[in-house]
Amino acid sequence: MLIDRGFTLVRPLKGGFEAWIEAGYPVENL
Amino acid sequence: MTQLIHSVIRYGVPLVFLNVFLEQIGAPVPALPTLIVAGALSADGRMSSTHVLVASIVASLIADWIWFLLGRRHGYRVLRTLCRISLSPDSCVRETEARFERWGLKSLLIAKFIPGFSLVAPPLAGAARQSTIAFLIYDGIGALLWVASGVVVGRAFHHAIADVLNALENLGWWAVAIIASAIALLIALKWMQRRSLYRRLRMARVSVHDLKRMLDEGSAPMIVDARSSAARKRDARRIPTAVVVEGDTLQERFAALPPNREIIVYCT
Repeated sequence: MLIDRGFTLVRPLKGGFEAWIEAGYPVENL
Repeated sequence: MTQLIHSVIRYGVPLVFLNVFLEQIGAPVPALPTLIVAGALSADGRMSSTHVLVASIVASLIADWIWFLLGRRHGYRVLRTLCRISLSPDSCVRETEARFERWGLKSLLIAKFIPGFSLVAPPLAGAARQSTIAFLIYDGIGALLWVASGVVVGRAFHHAIADVLNALENLGWWAVAIIASAIALLIALKWMQRRSLYRRLRMARVSVHDLKRMLDEGSAPMIVDARSSAARKRDARRIPTAVVVEGDTLQERFAALPPNREIIVYCT
């Protein structure tokens, strides 16, 4: 959707949110 | 009649069973053309449409039940694996989850008509801890509608399909080569489509370690939490500074940003 709106530098996070959690990095509550 | 058509008729129902099972388990071998041909052959009395229906529904239910159990056992990790092997990059888990969240098990009634959704819906139902009986009922009805549509189309156009079969018959084993080439071409096209998407995303996926370093250095680009609302309900946390985006808030959130602004997106 972002690319369709013209953004050219959209990059996915490898492994997604689970990889972030598994790495033990900090998170914020929504 | 050549050996080729004899073989199709002789092993027709097991072939249909195998084709449907392989497609539903995730192999890139579309079963709908086979169902249409089976429908056409049944109109000519060369196959039993009842056998085709029963075999296809059973094959579909077995494959879907396997995915349902895997979803129940391994949760949403199965969906991520599916996304990785899927040849349909547009069938992202986020869209599927949103659809499933909206329609629940009723989505299984039409799942097989939506590319990508068909494969992801059963493990999603398992991961969402839906009742096995209810899953089998909805999935069975969905399979019946899908199989019946193929068979009905085959029966309705059996004369035209017979002409095509006759042409293939005259080609003999060349027909097998042509069909195999067509399938290979389909897979290649899907693969290229996926590669193209990755290129558009610059294939430069960011590792969590690099993102953490950027956050620590204060040089992180905009981070977008693109998980479905269901996923965010399951885990109400986010990566620091990430903005949550729903489809309808996308416009207002990004309207003021320059198009060359770097954005990192994450899903589940």
